[in-house]
Amino acid sequence: MQEAALMAGRAFMRSLSRPLYLREIMTQMDLIGVGSLLIISMTGLFTGGILSLQSAKVLTTFGATSETGLLVMTSMVREMGPVLTALMLAGRVGSAIAAELGSMIVSEQVDAMRALGTDPIKKLVWPRILALIVMAPALTMLADILGAFGGWAVSSQLMHVASSVYISSAKEALTYNDIIGGLIKPTCFGLIIAIVGCRAGLRTHGGTVGVGRSTTQAVVTSDILIIVADFFLSRLILVFS
Amino acid sequence: MSSAAPNAIEFQEVTLAYEDRVILDRVSFTVGHGETKIVMGGSGTGKSTILRLVLGLIKPNSGRILIDGEDVTNYSDRQLTHVRQKIGMVFQEGALFDSLSVYDNVGYRLAEKSVPDSQIEESVRRMLQFVNLEEAINLMPAELSGGMRRRVGIARALVGKPKLILFDEPTAGLDPPTARTICELAMKLRDLEEVSSIFVTHRIDDIKIMASAFFSYGENGQVEFQREDDRLCLINTQFMMLKEGHVIFTGTDEELWTSKDPYIQEFLRSD
Repeated sequence: MQEAALMAGRAFMRSLSRPLYLREIMTQMDLIGVGSLLIISMTGLFTGGILSLQSAKVLTTFGATSETGLLVMTSMVREMGPVLTALMLAGRVGSAIAAELGSMIVSEQVDAMRALGTDPIKKLVWPRILALIVMAPALTMLADILGAFGGWAVSSQLMHVASSVYISSAKEALTYNDIIGGLIKPTCFGLIIAIVGCRAGLRTHGGTVGVGRSTTQAVVTSDILIIVADFFLSRLILVFS
Repeated sequence: MSSAAPNAIEFQEVTLAYEDRVILDRVSFTVGHGETKIVMGGSGTGKSTILRLVLGLIKPNSGRILIDGEDVTNYSDRQLTHVRQKIGMVFQEGALFDSLSVYDNVGYRLAEKSVPDSQIEESVRRMLQFVNLEEAINLMPAELSGGMRRRVGIARALVGKPKLILFDEPTAGLDPPTARTICELAMKLRDLEEVSSIFVTHRIDDIKIMASAFFSYGENGQVEFQREDDRLCLINTQFMMLKEGHVIFTGTDEELWTSKDPYIQEFLRSD
């Protein structure tokens, strides 16, 4: 934990000194953001659909199917969107970061980088941290929007809830606190995925077996930390709202 | 008052241990300017560790390491930046950056310093010409053979004209002709460019060629390969043998071949 905090601290402190590695940052944003569009879109769309399906069924019992939109949006924006997006990113991006940096360690590329006068924290870690703390909220927003759409599609087509009813109740559900909270969470989750992935990768030892171990460690640790952090962030956001 | 220039590298009683495993035990040696120190020894004797200590990639437990007379033992990565500018390192497997082309690998050091593209291209082409790999300029590392990767590694190490080159078993696993090409590149640097170097190897063939031949400029400025005969002694090439983290021999090739040490005799007979 201490090492991870030190690594993140060093990355932030050195981020403003030259060279800025803008090309590296853009490449990482492309790989992480654009590269994850499909899986995040599918996750958001079908999660919204599932939420709509399950909640409409329960709400029918109480004659409150008109509140389906509210339930879907609240769940998506507050919890499902940020958490599922982060878990998907941990699986896709966190593992890729650990594997890439781990391979660079075992093939001495990181040593070569240091020998050539480059700071690996600045060149390798900082672009990935920045890309994830920017792209995770953006992808979460996309998941939320597609989740709302998926919820609408299911509630209107399968559960026969009028579109106007769904949309008005969905609008009702959204408050500024929800939106802000829904963006704070993925920023923190993005930071967790980047730091855990980079640390696991840079601490790789034991050849190709070590790379596999680092990759697994990065995903498992990120997933656990995301769930734990979600609890504390939810509590904090509820207190302040 | 002495006005002698400091050594390119100086190790003073350097000790390195991981927990209770001693890698280097009070190792001392010097590498003069323009000198090639050939470091030999079996696997796990601490040969590559010496190169990592020179670069500051790892720190010793005790002792001092001096580069050009400057004590760099406790320098941070940031403090080491200007020291590393003077050093080129050729890694065992090349350690080329997989995501970059040969051009970008070789020009990496200059690109990091924001040197104009035209200068980078000129420098990269010159270095690739030196290692006879101009045709590979646009290839990716995955498309190169083992020998080509080492030569690209040498070209990358030479960009920026470092006065000190570290070779970490650059001929390991290569076929004899390719290994000889690599040795000849190291010899050209030694004889024509007066670059100081540490050449880590356990191949007897490398030792034989590097200790028995040299390059010089002919009357018309052409590069000539010459054999050392009885009248010559390559004083710019010294040998050092490591055994279990200890230096058990330093001297010339003539002294090495006539050494009575059983370990050295066994080592020289083994290839």
